[in-house]
Amino acid sequence: MLRRGAPMPIKSYLAYPVSGRLDELAAALRRLPGCEVIPAVNRDLLVLVTDSPDEAAEAALGLELARVPALQALALVAGLGDAAIDPAPPISSARHSSGGRS
Amino acid sequence: MNRSRYFLIGLAVLLMAALVAVAGQSLIAGREPARVMPVTAQATPTLPTEAGMYARVARAADYAAMPAEPNRKRTREAYYARRAYPGAPPVIPHPVDERQAFGKACLACHGEGGWVPRFEAYAPVTPHPEMASCRQCHVPQAGQPAFRASDWHTPAPPALKAAAMPGSPPPIPHALQMRENCRACHAGPGAVDVLRTTHPQRVSCRQCHALAAPAAEAFARPLTLPSPPGEEREKTP
Amino acid sequence: MTRRDLLKSMAAAAAVSAAEAAFPGIVFPAQDKAAPAGGGPPAPALPNDPNLAWKKTPCRFCGVGCGLLVGISNGRAVAVKGDPASPVNRGLACVKGYHSVMALYGKDRLTRAMVRKDGKLVPVPMKEALDLVASKMAETIKSHGKDAVAMYGSGQWTIPDGYVASKFMKGAIGTNNLEGNARLCMASAVTGFMTSFGLDEPMGCYEDIDHADVFVLWGNNMAEMHPVLFSRLLERRLKNPDVKIIDLATRWTRTSMAADRSILFKPQTDLAIANAICHEIIRNDWVHAGFVRDHVSFHEGKTNIGYGLEDKFTFKDEPKTVGFERYRELLGDYTVEKVEALSGVPARELRYLASLYGDPKKKVMSLWCMGFNQHTRGTWINNLVYNIHLLVGKIATPGNSPFSLTGQPSACGTVREVGTLTQRLPHGDVTEEKARKLAAEIWGVPVERIAPKPTYHTVEMFRAVDRGDIRFLWIQVTNPMVTMPKLRRYRDGLKKDDRFIVVSDVYPTPTTDVADVILPAACWIEREGMFGNSERRTQHWDRLLPPPGEAMSDTWQIIEVARRMGFEKLFPWPEATHIPDIWKEYTRFQAGPEHEMAPYDELRRRPGVIWPFVNGKETKWRYNGQYDPAAKGAFDFYGKPDRRAWIWFRPYEAPPEVPDAQYPFWLNTGRVLEHWHTGSLTRRIPVLHQAVPAAYVELHPTDAQRLGIANGQRVRLTSRRGALVLPAQIDGRARPPEGQVFVPFFDEALLINELTLDAFCPISGQPDYKKCAVKVERA
Repeated sequence: MLRRGAPMPIKSYLAYPVSGRLDELAAALRRLPGCEVIPAVNRDLLVLVTDSPDEAAEAALGLELARVPALQALALVAGLGDAAIDPAPPISSARHSSGGRS
Repeated sequence: MNRSRYFLIGLAVLLMAALVAVAGQSLIAGREPARVMPVTAQATPTLPTEAGMYARVARAADYAAMPAEPNRKRTREAYYARRAYPGAPPVIPHPVDERQAFGKACLACHGEGGWVPRFEAYAPVTPHPEMASCRQCHVPQAGQPAFRASDWHTPAPPALKAAAMPGSPPPIPHALQMRENCRACHAGPGAVDVLRTTHPQRVSCRQCHALAAPAAEAFARPLTLPSPPGEEREKTP
Repeated sequence: MTRRDLLKSMAAAAAVSAAEAAFPGIVFPAQDKAAPAGGGPPAPALPNDPNLAWKKTPCRFCGVGCGLLVGISNGRAVAVKGDPASPVNRGLACVKGYHSVMALYGKDRLTRAMVRKDGKLVPVPMKEALDLVASKMAETIKSHGKDAVAMYGSGQWTIPDGYVASKFMKGAIGTNNLEGNARLCMASAVTGFMTSFGLDEPMGCYEDIDHADVFVLWGNNMAEMHPVLFSRLLERRLKNPDVKIIDLATRWTRTSMAADRSILFKPQTDLAIANAICHEIIRNDWVHAGFVRDHVSFHEGKTNIGYGLEDKFTFKDEPKTVGFERYRELLGDYTVEKVEALSGVPARELRYLASLYGDPKKKVMSLWCMGFNQHTRGTWINNLVYNIHLLVGKIATPGNSPFSLTGQPSACGTVREVGTLTQRLPHGDVTEEKARKLAAEIWGVPVERIAPKPTYHTVEMFRAVDRGDIRFLWIQVTNPMVTMPKLRRYRDGLKKDDRFIVVSDVYPTPTTDVADVILPAACWIEREGMFGNSERRTQHWDRLLPPPGEAMSDTWQIIEVARRMGFEKLFPWPEATHIPDIWKEYTRFQAGPEHEMAPYDELRRRPGVIWPFVNGKETKWRYNGQYDPAAKGAFDFYGKPDRRAWIWFRPYEAPPEVPDAQYPFWLNTGRVLEHWHTGSLTRRIPVLHQAVPAAYVELHPTDAQRLGIANGQRVRLTSRRGALVLPAQIDGRARPPEGQVFVPFFDEALLINELTLDAFCPISGQPDYKKCAVKVERA
């Protein structure tokens, strides 16, 4: 868990676009502050990594995300804090051993 | 008795009428002007070097979903070990049934590739499935020692990393004849590991990858323009 | 890597693992900030160069306008990748784009000004050359009048280049002798737009590709000529197997190989085919009656309009407004049976094409380029394809899109939007008093200075040089001594005594060979600039590299000459800020919801901005009330006084020169993927030169056999204007039908334009490079 008041977390999500609107979703997410987008090559799905400087920005970002029209669903995977504490373990720890990415 | 017979006849008639009504309605509703691709008088010719990259294009997206299988990769060394020289038809490394010299048996595995449990390997895909007489060029090896020693030398295979600039799409270092279908050798788990493309879903390969001709003279002025008949031409400065 | 970066990597890795667990076989690109949207190739491994900086620019080459990232290291361009942030190409480029920066480094790059003294070109300091240009220009105006000087620019001019050229020629000197090579490329598309809609440039955008169900390619080899856009079509089809690509062409090309159906027609009969499709649509009652009733009006013009073969050929159309019934009556000659006989396309296929347009459930995108534009009835055929879309109401909505593809990177942005044509101003025509007043006001010149009558379009301008009516010609960023049709006349003309030719270019070419002054030019990313592509997207780039030697941007060359001729007040901008200053002044012309341009800062920040840019939003679909703030109501074709789109009846008319007993073959000319135009840039890129080192003539195998010609053997082509010997190519890149040959024009050692004919569309002035008659023999 994150210590209250610590510099804000880095979070990663799986973002599902509304059917057929992956590119629109990727473009829209990229425009939001502190957002990094990694679209899958062969699936309509992308990884979103957010990095906010403080609580207020994080909350604002949450509202912005909710407003993205091409976003169907957002699944939080990991929340890590840049504080002098151990980061929380990723929520999903399943690992698949096949390759496909370097 | 009569009553039940009339009843049955009546029921049959009713059912017949219903059948006709429903079938007729469905027929009329389903009728649409035919919008089928017409069989055309002028068939489009195949230009092999142009059409090859688009062959089997419907499966292109599937290649991206295939696993990389790092433990079962096909290496470049193994690839060239089967060829007398770069561009030679590879020998058949597995036993074959002598009665099956023609296409169908070979294409069962080499037409589309895939995992072959018997040999615990991914079958390489042929770039030229239209050539039906496989054993005309591809022969198995009996594994006997050499009849007499040979001094055969083979030219080096084309170098990798021949991209003009870092990150540029590397040019095609081999001739295209019988290798027009890029995906056969450069996509999927049956491909040689270092040749495997990162983007099999892009199908217009030669849009980015130019054919590298061996040492055409570099472009340089001055040029002598060829003269048409009966006219003298000046040399360009 | 900071701790924060490490945590971000861990978070990303966790998400990727989760995705892999949920979706076996899912693939993510290598962790790289430049990961493309929609699944493109992962960024390739690059050397560890701490000085490598990636900078955005539009590509130097075709009208697609891909966004590129150029890798700059220690003052050199060393790498290229597609810009994943660009909605145009989404991280992909083509072989020309990927190697484009190599064009800057040819060993014979022009770095010094040259002046011809006693027949020989000698290097001089740039200052001296500019002095000479200015003094020669002033002297010519003094002795022969302001219409004795002319400027010939290019669709590869940046927007600032074109703007200062226009201000210089039209505002300072007061002549309309300003043309651009886009006259040879897009003029018929422009007059098509103007006659059908009253305003230039497509109403849709590339996003139509993501919505269309059917793509009909009319006479254009899109796989080679707009390759990255074609890949978008292929991707659309890959994801939606019901999508169809139809190739309607005069020869079989790479595009035919990729298309679902390839339909060949005889040259010029595209006019008849389009009318036959309209006829079928009406006959089968597929007309969108409501749309036609509310948004379309019908018109007829002159027929038998000539071909411009004589000097000083003029044409003025006589438009008549007619009704739908008259239009239907005029189409009576275009039944599919009659058109089958004329065009060689079976009636069944014509019906099939019509059914695709007529099916209300299918969104249809028509795409065309030089097959339509380089055409003696180019304006007409552009009108006719719009007619089809208008009859069925498939226009100005996502996916329903008659889309005129542009050939050059900035024919739209510069020649068409800035108006570097004899009849245009940056807003409006020279013939319109309102337009002249606006120009006079923004430029700060007396309105009387702006000449109200157009002078010459390109072919006529070169004829004027030949005759001596023009004595001074300044050519920038184009190579007319390779590209003018019926080339010999115009080459001889420019070489005459008492013609002073100034050429600004990057490399020596056949055009610099006839120059009296050569000015070395900065190329592309060696100067700041903007291009405008086919889909109305303006794209900016910073100066990324220093130009070599004394090379100077075309913009600054014009400013330097203008100042020497006494026009400092019109060109006051300091060099450090002249590009944003010019942009600010230029965009005043385009103010308003119909054409508003984005502000400079917005252009710098973004991978291009589509105009109109109104209140921070791009107008992607014009004339459609849902997307276009300038449109009132569902559809509003506000370019025309009746606020309707105009359907013009245009008949089939034959070309001026057709094959006959003496010259039995059609000659068609064009490009190949690997080379841009006349090859002055691409042939100096080793990869591209190696791929296609020299020109050739394509022959059908049956013709070749009959003539005894094998692949690679020398063939002589002869027309009424010249002859050329080339190697034959049979079933290589493309196959023409029997009775036709094709020659690419990139090779300055094989000047195919010595054989072509300088006939043009009387309405647009654009010549037809696709049709003339030749004899083919073994050489």
